[in-house]
Amino acid sequence: MVKYLSQEWQAEVDRELRAHLSPEKMNNISSSMNNRYLNCPGGGSKYFFVSFTNGKVDEVLVGEGEGPKAEFYITGDYETFAKISRAELGSQKALMGGMLKLKGNMVKALKLASLCDRLNKIVATIDTEF
Amino acid sequence: MKFENKGPYFIDYPARIKAVQAEMAKQNIDVYLGSRLRTTSWCTDAFFPWRSFIVIPSEGMPTAFTFVIDAARALDDSWLDEDHVMGFAPMGGQDQITLISDMINELLPDGGRVGVEAGMSNYLPEGYLTYYEYNAFKDAMPDCEFVNAHEIIDRLQMIKDEGTINRFREASRIVDVGHEAVLAAIKDGGWNGMTESEIAGIAALAMRKAGSVWEWSFTGGNEIACGYRTGLAGGACTPATCKEVMAGEPLMVDIHGLFGLACGDHTHNYLIGPATERQLWHAKNFVDIVDLTLKTYRAGISPSSLAEEMMAFAEERGFSDYMVPGFEHGIGMLGDEWRIGRHDGPFPYWTDPDHCYQENEVLICAMQYACPEEDIGFRYENPILIKKDGCEFMSKFPLAVEVIE
Repeated sequence: MVKYLSQEWQAEVDRELRAHLSPEKMNNISSSMNNRYLNCPGGGSKYFFVSFTNGKVDEVLVGEGEGPKAEFYITGDYETFAKISRAELGSQKALMGGMLKLKGNMVKALKLASLCDRLNKIVATIDTEF
Repeated sequence: MKFENKGPYFIDYPARIKAVQAEMAKQNIDVYLGSRLRTTSWCTDAFFPWRSFIVIPSEGMPTAFTFVIDAARALDDSWLDEDHVMGFAPMGGQDQITLISDMINELLPDGGRVGVEAGMSNYLPEGYLTYYEYNAFKDAMPDCEFVNAHEIIDRLQMIKDEGTINRFREASRIVDVGHEAVLAAIKDGGWNGMTESEIAGIAALAMRKAGSVWEWSFTGGNEIACGYRTGLAGGACTPATCKEVMAGEPLMVDIHGLFGLACGDHTHNYLIGPATERQLWHAKNFVDIVDLTLKTYRAGISPSSLAEEMMAFAEERGFSDYMVPGFEHGIGMLGDEWRIGRHDGPFPYWTDPDHCYQENEVLICAMQYACPEEDIGFRYENPILIKKDGCEFMSKFPLAVEVIE
């Protein structure tokens, strides 16, 4: 079991995404997403960043603060993201209910919604301690 | 073939935006936040049927915002690129207030002057900022000062460029095709059993085959009236109904075609025979005053001077009681179909009766003859281009009230 948003968790996410997401499965997209976690346990904020180039996993990063620039930003409380990762809350419901805030071109985001779900499902398989 | 902004119909949209930005600079406006349909059409070359906005920064490309389901379609129709047509949705960070205010706050990190479009109109889809939107944007942009700035767009829209004028000419040619189809359908007794609504459809099909994409008017598409409905006081008959055309009645055919967001709009009138002497007298009155009006339009006259001259003619001929004393309405790219010129008349947001026509203004010569007590009326509409010494009427369907046997 790895601790959520730790360096070990990052390595595990990186390995799993590269193993299960082929460029074809990711529709050969080039994009990036930065999930920004507010009100983290112990205070402060963290980020989980993932980028793809031509459908291939490019970078998976986690860390303190706001993180790198991305095409899309999803911002919300740590607890909201944790609930999504524990499959206690759907990401669509969180967005539609205003618990998460998406920043970026919604028209492009529509095309990426199913890919994002694919990614989230793989991340959810990682044995994680929240 | 899908419409393309090229050839005789080319409009230099980047130049339009630069012209807006030059006017913004003169008024110290840092960002223009447009919300009117006429503004989105004129700035983007696309139709925005959902509530939409356009953000024009002090320099660079504008960004259009519309309901997310239609954003990709609007992008496909407009000259803007993928990064400048945004969709909004009821989602965290993606509702229209948050999305637009986030962009403006990023453009103006220290605050600034935001030009908005506030006003009123008796044209329902005008699109001025609502009370709610205004307050919500103010709350979301606390460091910005909001000023009413629609005059910038109104002034720039008034004189039409060559591409726009050519689009109007083509829209008018298409409308003439619609009229030919209607005439072919109703002549030789074809009118028998036909309804106003069917006539509207016949015209629509013919115009669409000829290149129109919509019967555009928000008053109900093609406006067809027969019998007493042609002579209702005030002259309006919209929309076409399922009333059947009957012998001995007038028939008014006011049809609309849309080409490159330019609005074709021409009305032709018939008398379904047998026509009485009295009906023919009314018809001659109407044709004569339309003919005189078209000969009178030129740069330098005003709606009030024209109305006075025409009403004097009607009085002299004894039919002034039947003339609706207004002879035109404004027209521009889709969404600009109400008042003439700017909002600077004695009644705010209505046509200034003393507006002085200038060369290359386009308006709809719109005349209405209504005699409710005799169940008869006629309408004339035609887009006209104001010239120095006259006008070009764009629809060429011959002026007449035809008797159909």
